[in-house]
Amino acid sequence: MPHDEGEPAVRLTSITKRFPGVVANRDVNITVRRGEVHALCGENGAGKSTLMKILYGMQRPDEGAIEVDGAEVTFHTPADAIARGIGMVHQHFMLADNLTVLENVVLGAEKLHGIGAAAGRKIKEIATQYGFDIEPNRLVEELGVGDRQRVEILKVLYRGARILILDEPTAVLVPQEVDELFGNLRDLKAEGLTVLFISHKLDEVLSIADRITVIRRGETVATVNAAEVTSRRLAELMVGSELPSPETRESTVTGDEQFSVSGLTVRSPEGRAIVDDVSFAIHLGEIVGIAGVEGNGQGELIEAIIGMRPVTAGTVRFAGADITQWSTRRRREAGIAYIPEDRQRHGLVLDRPLWENRMLGHQTRPPNARGPWIDRRGARADTTRIVKEYDVRTPGIDVLAAALSGGNQQKLIVGREMTGNPRLLIAAHPTRGIDVGAQAAIWEHLRKARADGLAVLLVSADLEELIGMSDTLHVILRGRLVATVDVTDVTPEELGSAMTGAEPADGATAGDTA
Amino acid sequence: MPAWVAILRGLGPRQITLRVGAPIIALVIALVITMILLRAAGVDPFNAMTSMIDYGTTSSSVVEILNRATGYYLSAIAVAIGFRMALFNIGVDGQYRMAAMLAAVLGGAVALPAPLGQILVIVAAMLVGGAWAAIAGLLKVTRGVSEVISTIMLNAIATGLIAYLLNPARLAEVRPGSNNVATPPIPESGQVPGFELAGGTVFGLIVLAVAVGIAFHVVINRTRFGYDLRISGLSLTAARASGVDSRRMIVTTMALSGVVAGLVGMPELLGASYQYSLNFPAGLGFTGIAIALLGRNNPFGIGLAALLFSFLDQSSDVLQLNDVPKEIVLVMQGTVVLTVVIVYELVRRFEIRLQQRAVAAELAAGHVIAGEKPAGGPE
Amino acid sequence: MRRGMRITAAVLASAMLTLGAAGCGGKKTTSDSGGAGGEAKKTLKVGLAYDIGGRGDQSFNDAAARGLDRVKSELNIQTKELSAKPDEPDSDKEARLKLLASGGFNPVVGVGFAYTAPITKVAKDFPNTKFLVVDADQCKVSGANVEGACFSEEQGSFLVGAAAALKSKTGTIGFIGGVNVPLIHKFWAGYEAGAKAAKPDIKVLPAKYLTQPPNFNGFKDPALGSDAAKGQLDAGADVIYHAAGGAGIGVIKTVGAAQKLAIGVDSDQYNQPAVANVKDFILTSMVKRVDVAVFDFVKAVADNTFTAGTKKYDLSNDGVGYATSGGKVDDIKAKLDQYKQEISSGQLKVPTS
Repeated sequence: MPHDEGEPAVRLTSITKRFPGVVANRDVNITVRRGEVHALCGENGAGKSTLMKILYGMQRPDEGAIEVDGAEVTFHTPADAIARGIGMVHQHFMLADNLTVLENVVLGAEKLHGIGAAAGRKIKEIATQYGFDIEPNRLVEELGVGDRQRVEILKVLYRGARILILDEPTAVLVPQEVDELFGNLRDLKAEGLTVLFISHKLDEVLSIADRITVIRRGETVATVNAAEVTSRRLAELMVGSELPSPETRESTVTGDEQFSVSGLTVRSPEGRAIVDDVSFAIHLGEIVGIAGVEGNGQGELIEAIIGMRPVTAGTVRFAGADITQWSTRRRREAGIAYIPEDRQRHGLVLDRPLWENRMLGHQTRPPNARGPWIDRRGARADTTRIVKEYDVRTPGIDVLAAALSGGNQQKLIVGREMTGNPRLLIAAHPTRGIDVGAQAAIWEHLRKARADGLAVLLVSADLEELIGMSDTLHVILRGRLVATVDVTDVTPEELGSAMTGAEPADGATAGDTA
Repeated sequence: MPAWVAILRGLGPRQITLRVGAPIIALVIALVITMILLRAAGVDPFNAMTSMIDYGTTSSSVVEILNRATGYYLSAIAVAIGFRMALFNIGVDGQYRMAAMLAAVLGGAVALPAPLGQILVIVAAMLVGGAWAAIAGLLKVTRGVSEVISTIMLNAIATGLIAYLLNPARLAEVRPGSNNVATPPIPESGQVPGFELAGGTVFGLIVLAVAVGIAFHVVINRTRFGYDLRISGLSLTAARASGVDSRRMIVTTMALSGVVAGLVGMPELLGASYQYSLNFPAGLGFTGIAIALLGRNNPFGIGLAALLFSFLDQSSDVLQLNDVPKEIVLVMQGTVVLTVVIVYELVRRFEIRLQQRAVAAELAAGHVIAGEKPAGGPE
Repeated sequence: MRRGMRITAAVLASAMLTLGAAGCGGKKTTSDSGGAGGEAKKTLKVGLAYDIGGRGDQSFNDAAARGLDRVKSELNIQTKELSAKPDEPDSDKEARLKLLASGGFNPVVGVGFAYTAPITKVAKDFPNTKFLVVDADQCKVSGANVEGACFSEEQGSFLVGAAAALKSKTGTIGFIGGVNVPLIHKFWAGYEAGAKAAKPDIKVLPAKYLTQPPNFNGFKDPALGSDAAKGQLDAGADVIYHAAGGAGIGVIKTVGAAQKLAIGVDSDQYNQPAVANVKDFILTSMVKRVDVAVFDFVKAVADNTFTAGTKKYDLSNDGVGYATSGGKVDDIKAKLDQYKQEISSGQLKVPTS
């Protein structure tokens, strides 16, 4: 642990940032010691981003002072921040796929070491120093997600950053990649760099951070030592209330088969099997989980089930009928609800108000439609109900969906899909990228629906979510269901190994589940 | 409470100001740019403007402006139908010319009692326009051909086809010694009488244009079909996930756009020329694109935009009389379209930012919309 | 509409408008006040409305403009010219004529057959204004204050067709028409008939029309004319007649560059600055005296000798003819004049289509 002596790397004092009608940050005080990993936790919309934008020179505070290495500074642009040794790695990668690592790193910083051999040497030097295993001349498009993230970090280091801000860096990574990232971060720390780590994944925060500052509604709630706090306590600090304790679940699985796929195969246009001979069933009151490293066919499986992707072979049965040839609309009208993986592309029309988004996927049914006509009054009234019941935080139902935070967008989607007596729910990553408060609420809704006899297909990258929620859990690898896991007796680590096909995890039964 | 009250309440006074203020700001900017251009061309801008307005408000000019705007309006609505689904129907021009020519042939060949003949001609035009446009839609969904390319090509094909058919050996006739080729004239019983005003005759089919505008508004905003169309235009992926059959939607929308395009030539055909000839106005389809943009794909806005364009066209002659090159009118039209698009994009971004602030305020205040309980999970 | 697309659309639409503007070639109208010291002949002001193209089209409209310029210089009369928009409906032409007539312009000239109906209509509302329509459609006008000028282009074309046949060494000649419309068919019919009459075994390549209506670029775009000329040269033609207005400049230049012969149209193109460097390859031109028609009409109004009705311009009154500048047809002049005489007397009938 770093000592308290010496100037802190960053000290934010009484930062206040007002927008018309809103105080985004109120009297925020944070001290980040040199050479520590400092995590910033808070719900979406709590003011983390605004605070980081202020530190990175993208916005200016109305009140308060920023000190870097003991000297008070005023940033007008990110360039000022970079000049002071502050760098930011954004959640969404900003890389040119068709350029090499070297070209990406020097892009926009050509003045430092040129674009040739000198730059290559410098990159190698940085990579060696911080333990990054990256070949400068590889094309970025050949790199995996974890490597791309390292390129982003490299970009920042190349520009001379001594203080790194990482915005939700683990959102896109699988557990093994997270471990690698954390290894890199520890190396950075060992070299004396300071890391500001924004996340709401509490277990990760606890494992990597030295100290944690919690922000709620624009104010700093507390700064705690990671060693002295539990994840439960941290969550309570974030949402400001006591969390509902995870109940011991009783199985509600019935004997009635509501949904099944058998021999389902989806081929790419080139003829490769993306989903390969998949068979499973879901009963009323059952949550079936699908675990897998991203890109192993789970997205395509879901799209085939909802009817957005043509099936090459196999059948899909729902409520006793063969629905393989049904259109998406017919499937939805029959009672299949769908929480899509990519809520901004598939779940919402961002440029339309909430009440029109409430109709999405349900535009042919009451309360949204009457015959060929749209029932505005009905749709609006029901949107208001969803906003209330699902705690969607919004000033009204006429704001555009784009204006809501991710968690609130997701709550609207969940509310929408739970409405209208669904008989099967397909939930892809229902809690990805949203804060713990919303996460807990969504889990609660899923449990309640399951208790009411809903059949649920849950695809997620959050292994704890899968283990905690599923009654039956299948593992998908390269398009095939390779194992079925006993959820009462498996750890995330074991499941992670099964997902990468390393070896059968304890408690996993190898083989197809047909 | 009625929906519009809620909407206005949801918007708040600032956004209402933006909604009304944006077009005005855009027009003022365009006006200033034009004035500077006129000045640079060595003309007194105020004199030029005064003469435009003087001439444009004479009773005969008003009739002219209304008649020209009728065609512009229908054309722009046809384009807007495509735009609302993010389809770029550049082929309105070919669609309406094909439709007008074939409908003119039909009208000249068949004599039916009063309303039937007109209805027959109009319906025929709609079918021809719709079918011609549907080709582009089908090419897009079956072969993946961009509708921009295919409609441009179809325009050229329509031109060739019309030139082939508009021939005395086929569907048209040349009167002795004439330099014109025309379809046989539509008999008086098949014509649509206009409204006699002081300045001349306003097309009777202006009523049809208004009806099309209202129908467009109702279908787009009040029907399930219109909803599917709009969301497909905003996010094809979300529309598909919601159960919209995007392929069918593309063909239907293109066809519908073509059906309205088929009407573009009708006011002129049934109200003034009564025949399709070499002199039949062409190019309305392209003007329609600019007008649809200017009118923000909104039936009311398009109406105003059509009138503005028509007014500017009307005054091009009087500008020439004042030694201003008539091309300045085209510059004015282009300037107006660009400023409107740019100003609206800025306003749109500003609006989203305002809303995000409002949402942030909501979060900071920590209450839900009903305001009856503090934040927290549902019980 | 998606955002990116909206902006693309705006740029495209604006580009289309601008292209329209560029294509029209910004020609300024002229309005010199004439009688600054000269004796006022009466306060005549001539208003002239062009069809698309307007002054500067190197062809038909320019011929009318020449007539107007002569009016200005010789009769000392004030003039005003208005251009048309492409693809406009008849009502726009009516409005233009009304604007001129109500602005005190008298007489008023409409250039192009498309003005026939509009002039007939507007003339009724302005009984004291005299109107001329050049190229009156069907050679018919009505109204006591309307004159129609019509031209027998086929007769002039017959003569240049004969000249082409007589001068061809390869035995193959060509024809390039601007736009595929009946007016240009008249040029073609006369040309082909003249060639066959002078040399029955001559090979006349099929007529090449540059564009189809409503695309009138075939009267405007020299590149189109140039391409078509290359095609006909490749097909063996060594004399090519163009009836393609401004696009014909491309024809003449290309033919001249290949050291073959071109035949001009409407005015004596041998003297046209635009093709000065290849004028030695201009065999002759089929002249159509639109300038004479305009000048005579204005003069008649000024002299109070105006008569309503149509006036025919043909070989008999030199309203059409062939040009002799450059002396390339001097050796066959006797033959051509013989045809001219036979046509004028009615002995030889020239087809019009």
